[in-house]
Amino acid sequence: MSVHVRLRVGAESYALPVEHVLEVAELGEITPVPGSPRAVLGVRNLRGEVLPVFDLAAVFGIERDGAAGRLLVAEHAGRRAGFAIDEVTDVGELSAPAEETESQFLRGAALDEGELVGVVDMQRVFAALQEGQV
Amino acid sequence: MSEYEAEFFQLFRDEANQRLDNIVDVLLALESGRAGGDALDLLFRDVHTIKGGAGMLGLDDVRTLAHAIEDLLESVRAAGAFPPPLADPLLRAADALRRHVAGEGEGTPDLLEELAASRASVVAPANGSPGERPAAATSGGAGSDRGRGIRVPAEKIDRLLDLVGETVLHRRRLEHVLGDDTGDETIADELDVGGRLFDELKDAAIQMRTLPLATITGALPRAVRDMAAETGKEVELVVRGEETELDRVILESLSEPLIHILRNAVGHGVETPEERRRAGKPERAVVSLSAVQRGGNVEITVADDGRGVRREVLAEAQREGSLVDVLARAGFSTAEQVTDLSGRGVGLDAVKAHVESFGGTLEARSETGKGTEFVLTLPLALALMEVLLVERGGRPFGVPLANVDEAISVSDALSLEGRQALELRGRSLPLADLAELVGADAPQLAPHAPAIVVSGGGRRVAAVCDRLLGEEEVVVKPLGPLLPTVRGYLGAAILGDGRIALLLDPSALTGGSRRRVRAGADASAPAENGRRTAPKVLVVEDSYTVRELQRSILEAAGYRVDTARHGREALAQVLADDDIALVLTDIEMPEMDGLELTRAIRDSAARASLPVVVVTSQGSEDDQRAGVEAGADAYMVKRAFDQQALLETVERLVGR
Repeated sequence: MSVHVRLRVGAESYALPVEHVLEVAELGEITPVPGSPRAVLGVRNLRGEVLPVFDLAAVFGIERDGAAGRLLVAEHAGRRAGFAIDEVTDVGELSAPAEETESQFLRGAALDEGELVGVVDMQRVFAALQEGQV
Repeated sequence: MSEYEAEFFQLFRDEANQRLDNIVDVLLALESGRAGGDALDLLFRDVHTIKGGAGMLGLDDVRTLAHAIEDLLESVRAAGAFPPPLADPLLRAADALRRHVAGEGEGTPDLLEELAASRASVVAPANGSPGERPAAATSGGAGSDRGRGIRVPAEKIDRLLDLVGETVLHRRRLEHVLGDDTGDETIADELDVGGRLFDELKDAAIQMRTLPLATITGALPRAVRDMAAETGKEVELVVRGEETELDRVILESLSEPLIHILRNAVGHGVETPEERRRAGKPERAVVSLSAVQRGGNVEITVADDGRGVRREVLAEAQREGSLVDVLARAGFSTAEQVTDLSGRGVGLDAVKAHVESFGGTLEARSETGKGTEFVLTLPLALALMEVLLVERGGRPFGVPLANVDEAISVSDALSLEGRQALELRGRSLPLADLAELVGADAPQLAPHAPAIVVSGGGRRVAAVCDRLLGEEEVVVKPLGPLLPTVRGYLGAAILGDGRIALLLDPSALTGGSRRRVRAGADASAPAENGRRTAPKVLVVEDSYTVRELQRSILEAAGYRVDTARHGREALAQVLADDDIALVLTDIEMPEMDGLELTRAIRDSAARASLPVVVVTSQGSEDDQRAGVEAGADAYMVKRAFDQQALLETVERLVGR
């Protein structure tokens, strides 16, 4: 079982393979980019880098009350993106294997300590972002 | 010989002759001791290529001779030095090759023997005496003095430039933190030293990312020759400043726009040999492409010595303030005949937009009868850009300084049909809130807010913002591969205070207000020249080229012109605008054709008597009858279309 970063988006729980996660930071000041797709919050200055920031709730189509507070910086195939999330809850191995689900962005779902956790397929998330699908 | 083979032979001859020119240059340089260290390599490459091509085409004489030269060069290379006397037999061998290539050569047994003998005489000198192999040539002779190079992957250079960019930011932050006056001389001195070092580092890094213009100009003389041949003209292309360096990303995309401008020059700018003779010019026209670096920019000028643009066009350009805008918008060319619509300056607007997408500009100058020139001004390096920073809704935005004509204070805006415009030196200019142009949320603007006049894509707009922050050289960061569908930005820049400024694409800014420009043009008819009372003609045409051509003809004759792309759009305009005094319409159009439009106008209560002129490519009597039956007042056929007939018809119908 590989190590995952567990996080909360709205009322839901997700897990990201740890090798895709570069860091977790304050959401910080985000500059909106008018004319961009729905899930794009804008760009953020991350130590001199212009980082595109996406609302993970909008990517997954989750209703959420209030604004996200944290920024999770992820990387896939040399591309970096920031995701606005509510909080990181845990880092560790999932206690149960993920079972396949019908979902655009999930590799599967795992029942972990009585909670349903979506295991995110970063490749599909990045592909959708790049196509401007979300 | 098949056509294909003949073509191949011609290609081979052209290339071989080009390479023989190079060979002769290098040999002469070697003989005079001013060749670069890679002279032998250059010779080898040229001779080897000729040998290869000759082998494929079965030109045995050429191949044998080239092979002998290669052998001799091999020995010279092994010996480590080129004895100057060797240049003579090699030059004669090159001449013989040229004759063979032209198909005029005879057997050259003597020369082959001589080359073999020379080869035997080449002996390895002890450690190469000085003077025989100069380290580097300084005069612009043959060979190159680039010295020994190493190959570096492009990504590494980009990484270096990125780091230089980071250093720029670091410096900005430092200046921001320290403020203008550090109060400490030692610190100020060190900052100065750092500044100088940084500038040098920046220049060095930029140089690594740039390539000489020669990288893309090699194919141009041939392309121009072919274009001239197609049009029965004689044109020589002269290229100057090929060594001028440009950012390779810009360079790689510049080929097509340059060919476009050259095609316009050959096709429309340059006259036929006959016309030139009558005008007292040499039959062979000269088109020149020259490049020169000015500060952080490179200027590329394409000039022809052709007929220039017509006086009316120059007059219009003077009124509008920019010839290239007039040419780009109207799809004008410099050709005299208005009947020939093919290939007019159409696409110049695309060239302009392309140049502007790099933060550059395109300008045109012309003198009737003397020639036309286009000047492309491009940033030397993409990574750095001079921008004007402005603020709107608490966010900073950057616009390339090259596209900012001026900054003004908006005191009294005019409003026309709900659209805002502003009068600037007797001409009206569309006016819009920057936030609206960009699509950003922002609170209401304060009265007397500043505006910047931005030009892009052949159009201008005054964009109102909250305040101007000033000019700055910024490091352009791409928005990145994850925001590919977002349009309208050149990238983003991080400012000294850490904020991100979106860099706005000028063409997108002005393009978003295209309709406003039209409205502005109406309002612009200032009372003093009486154009406000000039009759307004509605041009209905789905072809952009024809539409703009008709517009330009009518405007040059003093009419006000509105346009519509099809009947339905036209009908709405006719019913809404009582000023429209005549409709000039095409027949075949999407949505609603010209005959339906004519009938709809005749059936309308308010505008039933509005004059309608039908212009179409259909010339049969049946069509003409259909036009008349639909209620058209006049019918003109496009292939007989001429400016004078159009103007006379319009004049007759509007009773001027």
